[in-house]
Amino acid sequence: MIRFRRHVLNVAVLAGGLAASMSYSTAFADTLEEGKEIAFDRAQGNCLACHTIVGGEAPGTIGPPLVAMQTRYPDKAKLRAQIWDATVANPNTAMPPFGRNEILTEAEIDKVVEFIWSL
Amino acid sequence: MGVKKPLATCALAAILGGLWVPVQATAGDAAAFEASMKAALAAQKAASSVGGEWRDTGEMIKGAQEAAKAGDYDKAITLAEHARRQGELGYKQALAEKDAGLPTYLKQ
Amino acid sequence: MKKILLSATLLTATLIPLLASASPEEDRKLITEYMVKRFPGVELSEFANGVYAIDEIGRQNWEAIEEFPPYEPFIDEGEQMWNTPFANGKGYSDCFPDGPAIANKYPHWDKKKGMVITLPLAINACLEANGEKPLGYKKGKINAILAYIAYNSRGQVTQVEIPADDPRALEAYEKGKQFYFARRGQLSFSCANCHMQYAGQNIRADTLSPALGHTTHWPVYRAKWGDMGTLHRRFDGCNKQVRAKPFKAQGEEYRNLEYFMTYMNNGLPLNGPGARK
Repeated sequence: MIRFRRHVLNVAVLAGGLAASMSYSTAFADTLEEGKEIAFDRAQGNCLACHTIVGGEAPGTIGPPLVAMQTRYPDKAKLRAQIWDATVANPNTAMPPFGRNEILTEAEIDKVVEFIWSL
Repeated sequence: MGVKKPLATCALAAILGGLWVPVQATAGDAAAFEASMKAALAAQKAASSVGGEWRDTGEMIKGAQEAAKAGDYDKAITLAEHARRQGELGYKQALAEKDAGLPTYLKQ
Repeated sequence: MKKILLSATLLTATLIPLLASASPEEDRKLITEYMVKRFPGVELSEFANGVYAIDEIGRQNWEAIEEFPPYEPFIDEGEQMWNTPFANGKGYSDCFPDGPAIANKYPHWDKKKGMVITLPLAINACLEANGEKPLGYKKGKINAILAYIAYNSRGQVTQVEIPADDPRALEAYEKGKQFYFARRGQLSFSCANCHMQYAGQNIRADTLSPALGHTTHWPVYRAKWGDMGTLHRRFDGCNKQVRAKPFKAQGEEYRNLEYFMTYMNNGLPLNGPGARK
């Protein structure tokens, strides 16, 4: 009887955990999708103007292709900093300071970072 | 009969009064907006004086003024604040760039 | 000891900016060398063809367009304007006796007026002096008269001078130079970021044209406009694209910028009017 109850409890915990992780991963998938939209939008990130990104057409050739991002930026915070203000790493950069000049909001940058870091 | 009608009317007014949330400007909101707008215009003027005004600042200010006219002071203040920050950033940028000259990559 | 150190520091502090600057001729040579190195195999005079000097595919399309140039009707209209007397009986040839092949006289420094004079400015000065209405500086009829003058000036060589006996001329050049290299707008681009640093690279699907050759072919029929426009019209668009508030066409900023840019193109042949994407 007790075994059965524990069994039910375990199943319940598993099911709860699965549901939670599924809703988390759905939320995360949403974030990635929103980040991609902001990145691709000409009036917002417009990242394709300079960077090749999988899923984007007619990319520019001014910046490096955005691939293997977690290898190039093992620290996600450093990627965020680069997007926020690229002139810190390179004063001669042609990359707009998306954070410093408020081209994107902090919330938008968060989403873009998740998307770009996933590439 | 004589009691029911005014009672019903009062009830109706109360319901309507409760349901209807007007964007009612208070004197405090208007004053806060005036302050924000004053700061925004000053920042725009400063940026313009050094040739550093950004493209969208004027539109933001116009939007703020229109929102205020319509009584939406939250929106008006948000836009005015955004415009002020644009003016400040543009001013800072122009000053930082005043000695701009031949970049290092040309000399390589 | 302290006094010597302090004065030495002060001296160095004032010297550093001076050491960094060069003469206009040194600037021009440096930029030309940079361009030649960046685009090996492109003849110097070819740069007058702008992006079509460096973009082979674009060039094929452009050469096809040049068979029936979209700017031709504007040249014809300009010829009519040149030959039609004003209300007072005078005409453009009275203002410009050497005309219409006068494009390479502009821009130039005017000592009396203490400012850079551009061709569009001179055209309106002529109109106003003869009681005629001045023309708009970006769109419209000014492009017709400019197209006619440019067409007749083809083959002339860019030869902007900075008179040594008026320090204000060099000042105007330096102001134009500072404008060119300064980051501006919310997107924080300088003219140099696109047209020197990344000239030849693609921004989305468009190739960035090099600064060398930028001033030789105006006015331009731009497919994007479906219309002709002046150099200052293009300045206006470029500034807006980097989210900067543009300056007044033929105002001091853009005239000084034109002065600097055209000096950088000294030696290149004039080949206006042009057709572009």
